[in-house]
Amino acid sequence: MRQFTTSLALPAVAAGIATLAGAAIAVGIITSPTTAAEPGAAGPAPVVAEQAMPGMSMPAGGSPTAASGQDAPVATNAVAIQNFAFSPAIVTVKAGTTITWTNRDQDSHTVTAMPGGPFHSPTLNTGQPYQYTFTTPGRFDYLCTIHPFMTATVVVTP
Amino acid sequence: MTTLESAHGPEGGPVGMSRRQLLRHTAWFGAAVVLTVTSGEVISHLGTPPAAAAAVAQDPHALRFVQISDSHLGFHGPANTDVTGSFSRAINQVNTLGFRPDFVMHTGDLTHLSTPAQFDQVRQMLGGLRTGQVFTVPGEHDSVDDHGQKYRAAFGSGTRGDGWYSFDIKGVHFIALVNTLALEKLGHLGTDQLEFVRKDVAGLSSDTPIVVFSHIPLFAMYPTWGWGTDDATQALSYLRRFSSVTCLNGHVHQLFTKTDGNVTFYSATTTAYPLPHPGQGPGPIPLTLPAGQLGPALGIRDVSYQPGQHALAIRDRRLA
Amino acid sequence: MNPILLARVTAAGCLAGSGVIHAQLYLTGYRTIPWIGPAFLLQASGSFAVALLLLLSSAAVLRLAAAAIAAGALVGFIASRTIGVLGFVEYGLLPAPQALISVLVEIGALALLAVPFLDRTAARPALSLSR
Repeated sequence: MRQFTTSLALPAVAAGIATLAGAAIAVGIITSPTTAAEPGAAGPAPVVAEQAMPGMSMPAGGSPTAASGQDAPVATNAVAIQNFAFSPAIVTVKAGTTITWTNRDQDSHTVTAMPGGPFHSPTLNTGQPYQYTFTTPGRFDYLCTIHPFMTATVVVTP
Repeated sequence: MTTLESAHGPEGGPVGMSRRQLLRHTAWFGAAVVLTVTSGEVISHLGTPPAAAAAVAQDPHALRFVQISDSHLGFHGPANTDVTGSFSRAINQVNTLGFRPDFVMHTGDLTHLSTPAQFDQVRQMLGGLRTGQVFTVPGEHDSVDDHGQKYRAAFGSGTRGDGWYSFDIKGVHFIALVNTLALEKLGHLGTDQLEFVRKDVAGLSSDTPIVVFSHIPLFAMYPTWGWGTDDATQALSYLRRFSSVTCLNGHVHQLFTKTDGNVTFYSATTTAYPLPHPGQGPGPIPLTLPAGQLGPALGIRDVSYQPGQHALAIRDRRLA
Repeated sequence: MNPILLARVTAAGCLAGSGVIHAQLYLTGYRTIPWIGPAFLLQASGSFAVALLLLLSSAAVLRLAAAAIAAGALVGFIASRTIGVLGFVEYGLLPAPQALISVLVEIGALALLAVPFLDRTAARPALSLSR
């Protein structure tokens, strides 16, 4: 009886410890935030590039957009604001095109070009649209001033 | 080969312990309990001296202030259908703390959409606080369409630049920063404000306790969601030489603490609606909790400081 | 040194390490978290108490207590990052580096406490030599 118990004990205990250990390490890694906030860094973000300096009228390429998974620009002139995001996140249009943003969210949003940019909408309630005609070519980053983590880009071709 | 007999103890009985072994086990267990209680007492008293709480209440030189944050007056949504009511309860809770705080600081997002009516309402409600002074810093919701003009009209008197300022009370130096007005995903202080900080602390002795208020965290809590300030390290570099620096912020609608060298950051919770934890969801979107769980997610914070102590004592309280 | 004794002493050290980490986190902010704060205090004090006694004795009750404290801390770690503990959630390996170190020493303590199971002589309860 004792031998039986003893010979069971080691594998049982080992299995138990291994499960617990594996689960802890796995959970720790899986639930890490998708952008690692460095423990020692108390300031600048590791991922976001330095934003345009005041006075610069056109943000240089390289400003990141919110669409980490949607990098291909879409040729359309309608952008939906829903689920706290601009869809599509990058649109490309020819100079002279008018883009229409429509707020499909319950919360209010704005469409505001990042510093120095030419367009800024009023506060858009649910269902409210905003339009802007892009006359000059270039790359225009914009965000929602109420929820600044909502960022997107318009690329205007000549 | 082990037999059943040899598994008996001297006093007999089935496989297992004898009375003597049981006593021994109990003795060690008892010793463990006694030691646990003792070391628990020791550890918890390491944090604050036992008489601290009472001492602070009696001591006229002790400093006590309250931080409230993110009231979002004007918000409508399932995450909290009555943010005005929650804010009113928070104000009432401050007034019934049992002491009169030296001041109350609201760390931003007073309104949800920066409308004149919302500013009026929040100003009126803050007037009901029984305290020495009420200070504020703006959140991004307080400047959605006007770069903070309406905010400054309501709360900006005595402030510099976009609304920053500093003041001293009972030997502690307070700095209130604005990092929500640059049109960017992350918080941003800007060169004028950085210069203000540098000059503001230049003449202070290094043992002056420093407290910095801002809306957005001054550390990289979760940059993907804009929870960080891109030029905060420079501001903090001006504070490296001080022995005690405490940064209190709002914006993230949840408690969070982090220490980095001589600086400790404390994010406060909201009086309005909760936000998800970093990475738990597509974005910092109002989180609707199951019934009954909203209350514990909201709260206020009272902070006390006694001259001679090294650090501030922070006490986060759930909404009453 | 007898390897069984060495394992026990090292297990005690690992347990104490876990206690140090929980004590430090408690003192620097966790004490204000409802339920979790006191739980950290309990874990830290229990760890120190049992680790100290484990240096003096290998009584099964002490080894069981040590294993329970280490396993409990690991379960708490897993729960807080999955289902939440009474509303308290954390994420990943934050706060770093404490979270990872704590997990590793707790696993180490459990593994070392299981060492006597390898040695069948020591597995017999009533006649254990190093009581």
